Amino acid sequence: MAAVAVHQFAQCITCHAWSPDHSMVAFCPNNNEVHIYKLLEDKWEKVHVLQKHDQIVSGIDWSRRSNRIVTVSHDRNSYVWNQEGPEWVPTLVILRLNRAALCVQWSPNENKFAVGSGAKTVCICYYEQENNWWVSKLIRKKHDSSVTSVAWHPNNILLATTSTDGKCRVFSTFIKGVDTRESKTGSSSDSKFGEQIVQLDLSFSWAFGVKWSPSGNTLAYVGHNSMIYFVDDVGPSPLAQNVAFRNLPLRDVLFFSEKMVIGVGFDCTPMVFAADESGIWSFIRFLGERKASSSGPKYGSQFSEAFGKLYGQSKHGLSNDTVEPSRIRGAIHENCINCIVPLRKEGFRTKRFSTSGLDGKVVIWDLENYEDLSDYV
Amino acid sequence: MMAGAEKFVEADNAEAIITRIEHKSRKIESLLKQNKPVEALKTALEGSPPMTRDERCKSANWIVVHRALMAIKDVEGMFSSLDPEYYDILMKYLYRGLSTGDRPTCDQCLRIHEKLTERAGLGCILRSLADTVNTV
Repeated sequence: MAAVAVHQFAQCITCHAWSPDHSMVAFCPNNNEVHIYKLLEDKWEKVHVLQKHDQIVSGIDWSRRSNRIVTVSHDRNSYVWNQEGPEWVPTLVILRLNRAALCVQWSPNENKFAVGSGAKTVCICYYEQENNWWVSKLIRKKHDSSVTSVAWHPNNILLATTSTDGKCRVFSTFIKGVDTRESKTGSSSDSKFGEQIVQLDLSFSWAFGVKWSPSGNTLAYVGHNSMIYFVDDVGPSPLAQNVAFRNLPLRDVLFFSEKMVIGVGFDCTPMVFAADESGIWSFIRFLGERKASSSGPKYGSQFSEAFGKLYGQSKHGLSNDTVEPSRIRGAIHENCINCIVPLRKEGFRTKRFSTSGLDGKVVIWDLENYEDLSDYV
Repeated sequence: MMAGAEKFVEADNAEAIITRIEHKSRKIESLLKQNKPVEALKTALEGSPPMTRDERCKSANWIVVHRALMAIKDVEGMFSSLDPEYYDILMKYLYRGLSTGDRPTCDQCLRIHEKLTERAGLGCILRSLADTVNTV
């Protein structure tokens, strides 16, 4: 069994994040609040409600070492929350945006965080000790549309972004006084803040969900045209692979190892992609109960009703069994999955991750007992 | 790999494209005479879409694809010899066919669409709808 726990926390969840020890989960129930639940005597109980934003919270990230939560919202603001005694105390971060903030990620060293926005900009925020203030530096005029996802390279300098202009870009975010020259590696060693390292123009439609592999050697992102892209040698001459699949598009991805990626999205079931010995990526299997439907036009998705109508009206139409309710048979998530988070602990390898989606569930998955995937983990 | 606007040819190349399509059309007619409808469809789909924004080229290519499409009698048989690399482009032309509103064309396109969706999945439909650059 892949899903080890299913929690119906709300009607709909926009995003979620785990506390460093995984005893608490923070999520936004599709409104202006962030709810924090804690596992108390085998039951998840609501222990905090973070109320400061005015509109939907679109991104949450909980830093592993410093135990700080950063939230961003459609209200164009960001807050960094510090735990002081029993309370979570917010600090406003002025992002200087004129459109909604869409996503947020702490950098690996947790001294910076990146915010993608609908204002075609990316904000890199860092703490200024002398002013006791989070400063936001903008990367402007590089994106032609909203920034849907941001991902930090393990070197704490390079940042990958995806945008609804269909492109994936990599920037340097070197900030004097925050980053040291030693922390830079290889070709990026002389790039200034905001300098674009590469622009990947592989997708003809919206791009979502970008991630680096654990080593930072491979980049994966997804397009709204049911494609996933894998890019090696990110730099002046990148090597790209496009993998098309037969299901609905993905929204987010997670590298499980250098050779294995989990994708989640509109198909409501996590999909496993893996690279073989020669480095060729392909779709391996679904996770969970659902079988890859190869028999007949039974599409377990919101499309099925439309399909029933289409073929119901056609002269050479089929029997009515194409019409089925818009619910996936036997799947664990019942709607689009839009968030996937690793359950990684410091210095301890785990095969767990969690997903949340528009059905309001947080599902914890474990790949421990998948022998067919053990080669890739 | 880096597909993009630079691949498009402008109007002065339109004549060359039309010539190529005419050549393709003759080849298709000859394949149809030899009773090789799947080969004809493959020929029609090769080099499609014509990398251009020129509507004249697009319609010329559509006429050729349409000719081959309508000659398919055995849809199951067609798929047993049509490679998956043709699926995405075929789907695009099926939607172009459906958009004509012509009854026999729509009937034929729906019949193929059903079988194609079984084989190539919803992802294939998504790719044909989401691609607003390489329109057919």
